[in-house]
Amino acid sequence: MKRSKKAALVLTVPVATLLIAGCEKEVQGMVYSNPEECSAGGWNTEQCEAEYAEAKALHPQVAPKYVSKEECEADFGDGKCETAPQQTTSGHSVFMPMMMGYLAGQMMNRGASFQQPGAASAGTNTAATGTKAAAAGASVPTQPLYKSRDDRGTYRTAHNTPVAKGTGPVSLKPSQMQPRAGGLVRRGGFGHQAAMRNSYGG
Amino acid sequence: MKRISVAERANWRTYAEEVGFNFHTFDGEPYWDETAYYQFSLQQIEEDLEAPTEELHQMVMDMVGDITRSEEMLTQLNIPRDYWSYVWNSWNNGEPHLYGRMDLVYDGTGPAKLLELNYDTPTSLFETGFFQWVWLEDQIKNGVLPERADQFNSLQDKIEQAFIELELSTPFYFTSVRDNAEDRGTVSYLMDIAAQAGRNVHYIALEDIGVITDAKGENPQFVDLDDHPIKGLFKLYPWEFIVQEDFGRATLAANTQMVEPAWKMLLSNKGILPLLWARYPDHPNLLPAFFETPGSDPMAAGWVRKPLFSREGANVDLITGTGEKLSAEGPYADGRYIRQAFHALPKFRDELRGGDAYTMLGSWVVGDSAAGICIREDATLITKDSSRFLPHIILD
Repeated sequence: MKRSKKAALVLTVPVATLLIAGCEKEVQGMVYSNPEECSAGGWNTEQCEAEYAEAKALHPQVAPKYVSKEECEADFGDGKCETAPQQTTSGHSVFMPMMMGYLAGQMMNRGASFQQPGAASAGTNTAATGTKAAAAGASVPTQPLYKSRDDRGTYRTAHNTPVAKGTGPVSLKPSQMQPRAGGLVRRGGFGHQAAMRNSYGG
Repeated sequence: MKRISVAERANWRTYAEEVGFNFHTFDGEPYWDETAYYQFSLQQIEEDLEAPTEELHQMVMDMVGDITRSEEMLTQLNIPRDYWSYVWNSWNNGEPHLYGRMDLVYDGTGPAKLLELNYDTPTSLFETGFFQWVWLEDQIKNGVLPERADQFNSLQDKIEQAFIELELSTPFYFTSVRDNAEDRGTVSYLMDIAAQAGRNVHYIALEDIGVITDAKGENPQFVDLDDHPIKGLFKLYPWEFIVQEDFGRATLAANTQMVEPAWKMLLSNKGILPLLWARYPDHPNLLPAFFETPGSDPMAAGWVRKPLFSREGANVDLITGTGEKLSAEGPYADGRYIRQAFHALPKFRDELRGGDAYTMLGSWVVGDSAAGICIREDATLITKDSSRFLPHIILD
């Protein structure tokens, strides 16, 4: 036989929606827009501020960078971008979104020196919110959070991973929360020839 | 080789749309056309099409290494100098290729002649590998065609096998121009087969691909909309476009596995035709061809003029042996040309429409194996993007 034994299609939905299954344990972090909100949540003020400072220091390193303010605002909203400390090799300014909040990763950590008043252990906290208990010492990295133009309610990492819809405790997989250096992102650098010629495959 | 009129399947259009074949009709004119089919003998398929396809494929593959090392040939093929070492590396590192299609003239007798290679971004894959296969199964089931009717079409089996065997990055991305239904259909079909082969596949529109660099603008990497790195990418987008675009330079440094790989730009280029003719003069499956230069004589009767890069018959001029002139408009008038001896497409009678049909054969190659054929018909001697696609069978 000169033809395929079978020819079948399996995907009736776009496969882009397939998710990578993971079995990693979730651990807890806290999301706040500023240290005052964190203190008001009953946490140790000193730790709220220490973690905020840590996130704030990471912000210029991890925030996504743009070569124009317009491109940045297209993703993060008008007036929500600022000049980054970096410059391009040709000396032009670079823009990045403003930090809109932070993920505090150490508060729930069993090994941390600070504890929420009244909380005996991290286990109590995680049990209270119904999530899996964090392994001793496991934590999510403290980092700045952002909000995109088209989804103002959601805090996201610098790499656009949604973290929480509001403030307070969240359960997260640490591997998905690793801060990475935020380079210059540019899009739309492919496709001009097709637009010009209106003819592609063959 | 015969053209035989046949009744269309009831409701095939509904079925086509259910399986995502939305471009079966083109500006109100049929693209998929099952009012007729072509019938071949097994001998015609195996001796005149399958074997020459594999031979021609080996001939061009044998030339790739030489071309990558030849300034003269790279220049003739209009490969930008900045890409020469990238192309050379892609070949010497053995970067895998997936598939290609060669277009042949064949009338049922005598050697098939190579018109050109579509080795970078061939489409009509879904129509060949899936839709004409289902057509045959249906027509056998309907009793219209005999049980023993077969088809030269192992395309889907071979592509699935390729996706199982190839070394590809995980996840593996697929891209095409956002607003082109035909390209998207081709890519969706490939993604479907790759998923069946167990691959973790993602789609990203070409225009959404990002390049991320360090703060100094160095070390580019392709990223998806979540800024996750794209380590492997099937691109249904021609290399000759990529090398002219803003992100072309990023491909040189990005370390992303590209399928088709960069060396395919040497083959999906009409310039391979004169190079082949120079290497294998008088080969029975080749037509005489040469590069047009400013000193070339005006086109004579019996010659065809083609841009180095053009698709779907665009910007092709021809003068038949009897002096009849024919030209196709197109957007590729800005480059260099080759000339190829004219070899008329066979003419069949389209009884339903009461006209002539000129027929071209596409012969598929997956990896290094011949994998089936597809047939395009046009009312003129130049096959275009609007040319109809007809199914075929093998029956002795």
